[in-house]
Amino acid sequence: MTDLQLNDAKPLIMHIDLNSCFAIIEQQANPLIRYKPVAVAAYDTPGGMVLAASYEAKRLGIKLGVNVRQARELCPEVIVMIPDPAKYRDAHRRFREVLLNYTSEITPKSIDEFVIDFAGSPSLRAGRTLTDVGYEIKEKIKQSLGEYVTVNVGIGPNRFLAKVAAGLNKPDGLNVITAKNLRKTFAKLDLTDLPGINVRYEARLNIHGIYSPLQFLDSDGDHLKKRVFKSKVGMDWYYRLRGWEVDDVNWGRKSYGHQYALSHKTTDRQYLSQLLMKLCEKTGRRLRGSGHTARGIHLWLTFANHQYFSRGKNTHSQMYATQDIYFQAQRLLNQAIMPDNVTNMSVTIYKLESCDPEQMGLFDGTRIDKKALAQAADKVNDRYGEFTVVPAIMASMDDLILDRIAFGNVKDLY
Amino acid sequence: MREKINQEIGVITVFSARLKAAAPYLLHWHNNDYQVGEIGYHHTIKRGETLHHIFEVTDKDSSMCFRLRLDTSNLHWTLEAISDGLAT
Repeated sequence: MTDLQLNDAKPLIMHIDLNSCFAIIEQQANPLIRYKPVAVAAYDTPGGMVLAASYEAKRLGIKLGVNVRQARELCPEVIVMIPDPAKYRDAHRRFREVLLNYTSEITPKSIDEFVIDFAGSPSLRAGRTLTDVGYEIKEKIKQSLGEYVTVNVGIGPNRFLAKVAAGLNKPDGLNVITAKNLRKTFAKLDLTDLPGINVRYEARLNIHGIYSPLQFLDSDGDHLKKRVFKSKVGMDWYYRLRGWEVDDVNWGRKSYGHQYALSHKTTDRQYLSQLLMKLCEKTGRRLRGSGHTARGIHLWLTFANHQYFSRGKNTHSQMYATQDIYFQAQRLLNQAIMPDNVTNMSVTIYKLESCDPEQMGLFDGTRIDKKALAQAADKVNDRYGEFTVVPAIMASMDDLILDRIAFGNVKDLY
Repeated sequence: MREKINQEIGVITVFSARLKAAAPYLLHWHNNDYQVGEIGYHHTIKRGETLHHIFEVTDKDSSMCFRLRLDTSNLHWTLEAISDGLAT
């Protein structure tokens, strides 16, 4: 396919993201740290990873992935803070409420990003453009979250180009990409400026003679499908770059998981089992809260020597209670050989099914009792706070796993 | 410098029917009265079934930021942390 036109429909997709979300919310909350370099890090110890940096810090090279030691070398005056997830979740809800005043067709992409489809929205009354609405939304977000909070707004004919537009002129920008200015916009970008193109994809494109977004745009669809990406992904890119929509699919919830970066790196299996239980409890609470059981589990460990252990399995019986999940996760942990201290641990459960815990496995004589116990524990924890009732192995744990915001999916906030 | 305090303190709160909002007006800590200047952020959290209100405020001189928590089960105020806006 060589000659699909650019989508010249009126752009009705808006992508909005909070600039440097965690850092800007902290600067809004504490006026004394505004206009200063601020880094929100997983831990405020030298090895703690920076999760978000204010624009003042970013200009000095402090960004996601840098650790606190490196951040202080770049800027000794940098103010390092640990995250306050409850505040960011509140900011996300306020952000969402502002957008719901315009249309119900909003999709959260992460804690700090939304996509809005304005097709058919009465917000676009005669004489009112989406740019007008975008500026109004910026102002309403300031009124709701605080005058220091800024967002980038991107408008385009599809989700991809709206996100590209939102990435231009940060912070506090508003940009529109249409069929008319698409080529001019792409001419100023690198391949890795395109959402979804990381350094590995860039290398793959380079191998096929594509070094810029314009060359990517000018590539033949069949070439992208058969040679570059060797799958329909190539054709999706062909449509996407031209402003046609391929990304509006809602895949639904397929898994639940929790990950933890250990503050105390170790090979102590008893300690790791306690952490594992806590991860399984957090995962189990979400599973039960959503009304599902699971039949697949995956354990991932990362070690200080950068090796990893990754193992998953399908289970014959449904997992519902925390003990079900922990039993399977512990079996996987027992298989792990540890070449070095564990630095990260994650548990994911998948193959979700709507909850029908009355259906028992042939040898699961205690299935109903276990379900009742799990639900009773959840009710106590709902009333008196998380981890009020815990499995015995967790009794000595205190707050070994901290509350954190996941990158990406925020479905559980609603 | 940010320092955890976690101490119950006296707070005078004002409710405005016009603004339909309540907020701390003055706090008393370490034998000093601090009139609230700016409310940076207000949000709520739940611990079990108890709702807590968190206010992050500066004093009128903008010399200190205070993180305050109101426990709605007993209406007690706690000064959770202070910050002078400088690096730790």
